[in-house]
Amino acid sequence: VTDAATPLIAAVLAVPLGTALLVVLMPAPAAADRLNLATSALTAALALALAVVALVAAPDVAARGSWYVLDTAGGAFLALVAVVGLASAAMSPFYLRHTGRSWFTARRSHAWYYAAFNLFWAALLALPLTDNLALAWLLIEATTAASALLVAFSGKRSALEAGWKYVVLTTLGLAVALLGIVVLFVAAGPDGSGFGRLDWQILAQHASALPEEATLVAFVLILVGLASKIGWAPVHNWLPDAHSEAPPPVSAMLSAALLPTVLLIAWRTKLALEPALGTTTVQELFIGFGLASLAVAIPFLWRSLPWKRLLAYSSLEHMGVLALGIGFGTPLAIAGVIVHVAGHGLAKALGFYTAIPLLRQDPSTAERAPRGVVRTSASTATAMSVSLLTLSGLPPSPLFVSEVMILLGGMDAGLIAVSSIAAVLLALGFLGLAHALLEGLLGEGRRASRPTRSAGAIAVLAGIAALALLGMTVAAYALPGSEIVEALMRSGA
Amino acid sequence: VGPVAISALVALAFGVMLVRRRSLATLLVAAQALLLGVAALSLAGDRPTEFAVAAVILLIRAVALPALLAFTRRRTPEPYLVVPATTVLVRLLVSAVVVLVAVTSIPPLGLGDRPAEHGAVALLCLGIAIVVMRRPALLQVLGILVAENGIYLLAISAPGGLPSVDRAWRPLRPGARRDCRHRLHPEDPRRGGLGGHRSPEGAP
Repeated sequence: VTDAATPLIAAVLAVPLGTALLVVLMPAPAAADRLNLATSALTAALALALAVVALVAAPDVAARGSWYVLDTAGGAFLALVAVVGLASAAMSPFYLRHTGRSWFTARRSHAWYYAAFNLFWAALLALPLTDNLALAWLLIEATTAASALLVAFSGKRSALEAGWKYVVLTTLGLAVALLGIVVLFVAAGPDGSGFGRLDWQILAQHASALPEEATLVAFVLILVGLASKIGWAPVHNWLPDAHSEAPPPVSAMLSAALLPTVLLIAWRTKLALEPALGTTTVQELFIGFGLASLAVAIPFLWRSLPWKRLLAYSSLEHMGVLALGIGFGTPLAIAGVIVHVAGHGLAKALGFYTAIPLLRQDPSTAERAPRGVVRTSASTATAMSVSLLTLSGLPPSPLFVSEVMILLGGMDAGLIAVSSIAAVLLALGFLGLAHALLEGLLGEGRRASRPTRSAGAIAVLAGIAALALLGMTVAAYALPGSEIVEALMRSGA
Repeated sequence: VGPVAISALVALAFGVMLVRRRSLATLLVAAQALLLGVAALSLAGDRPTEFAVAAVILLIRAVALPALLAFTRRRTPEPYLVVPATTVLVRLLVSAVVVLVAVTSIPPLGLGDRPAEHGAVALLCLGIAIVVMRRPALLQVLGILVAENGIYLLAISAPGGLPSVDRAWRPLRPGARRDCRHRLHPEDPRRGGLGGHRSPEGAP
């Protein structure tokens, strides 16, 4: 498989990178749209093929090359990044059609948007495949560089501020993580293998020989640094602004693909270093971030917030849930984590795409919570409902199943108090989102407006997403005890 | 890196926290990078590859980046005096407390060189404090550079240093990964070793 996987992986990365170069040469916006859509479909198809190979090979590692590992966890995250990337590429023309001038002239803005988009996507696709902590750090920095341009794409003062905040805070966080990587590198001892000693597998195999104190410092620094990028409280300050100000397809990429993918790196680091640090220390750190994120997010879900800002705080909540699941670390919780990553990704991306017709029909929703959307547009209201009901965890949402799995997994691990607190916070979050949805759909609002092309597209997307989410719910019941979970328990290592 | 140089690096970072003028702050960060670059060059000694890498980094961080920042500063003159968010005294006190707490609480990082470890942690904390407490965007960039200089200090103080670019990714080349495992598992052929209990060089 390794021989076949190497060129396929190269192609998965080469197509978006090539598109980033080619699209700048496109003479007209429509040509850039068409090129991006075609190459995005190819990228997604290649990435999904790789993901299938990885998942079918479970519980074994499908392939391991000079810099990559194609395992079950990587495959699942790769599939998510591929699907969200393709959907964002498909929705981008609807956003760009009405943006006009941004940083660039209206004529050139499509080309530069797609160039940055493809660079961002390429870095995201490479992240789940990377087999080395130092290389993962470099790729995470690369995602910051490309996505910061996209966050500030509109050129508005608020977008520039959000982009700047994003760059500064995540760069500082990653500087802290880099310090941890240097400490870990030194702790791993000289063996002449360069950064190869930071491969997940090599780290895991030699973790028990690592000095405990230095490894603990390194792990804390790495985790705190990555937390700033994942958006865990209390280092989440960039997240609500960046998600609110970025173009909706980019917000979808940030929330549904970037945050979980960086979380995968934190997860792999945990699995690699756990033998050196002991389960309890590592568990406490993840659970601390998880509970803090839930506690910070819930009050905001109860407030009347603009649509994209509400979704941003919902991301904070869900990253908290994932931190808890990884922290609990039992097979049931890990099964819940993978269902949660997939369900959250689809529902959140749909939510952000819904902002395109929503803002077109009522631009004031950029500043205040939407009201009476049912009267404005039935298709937009449907998409909002599918997204928010899923995110709130209402059955039959896959997030209901995943949250139950994670909480039961916590009880399995003997952490009954933590699971109970998390259950209460999740119930409060559910009520907050349900209230926001009811107000948004049925509250006093504007009257019906002319249907837009993006509203038609969002209706189709909502239908597809609803079916996929239901499929996920069914599949989630088969997951516990499967070979996939067995493979996830030792992903990368 | 000697204790005097480390103290100078930390003092320069305190200067960035305290001075008002962006041009002066840029000069202080350039001086910091110059000091680190010279230290790296002296450590590289007669190894030409390491010497070249250290020289390039010195040129980028001590010359090119400050020049770019100076250019940016000229293109973005302050139309009016930006009132600092805090007074000099408050900034000095807060940053001193942050550095003291961080340096005293951090356990050994395994370098075997406590002054370098303390210096690196102090620079990282000062960099973060500069970003938090200084309002002008250019000073925030300088804060990030100060934090990065802390990591640079730690990297060049590591025993044997961190691998330079050519060596760093050697395991990423085909065959090199096997070589790495072979060193780690010399006795296990399934993990890339040679089998038996021979060392990679074949010594007993």
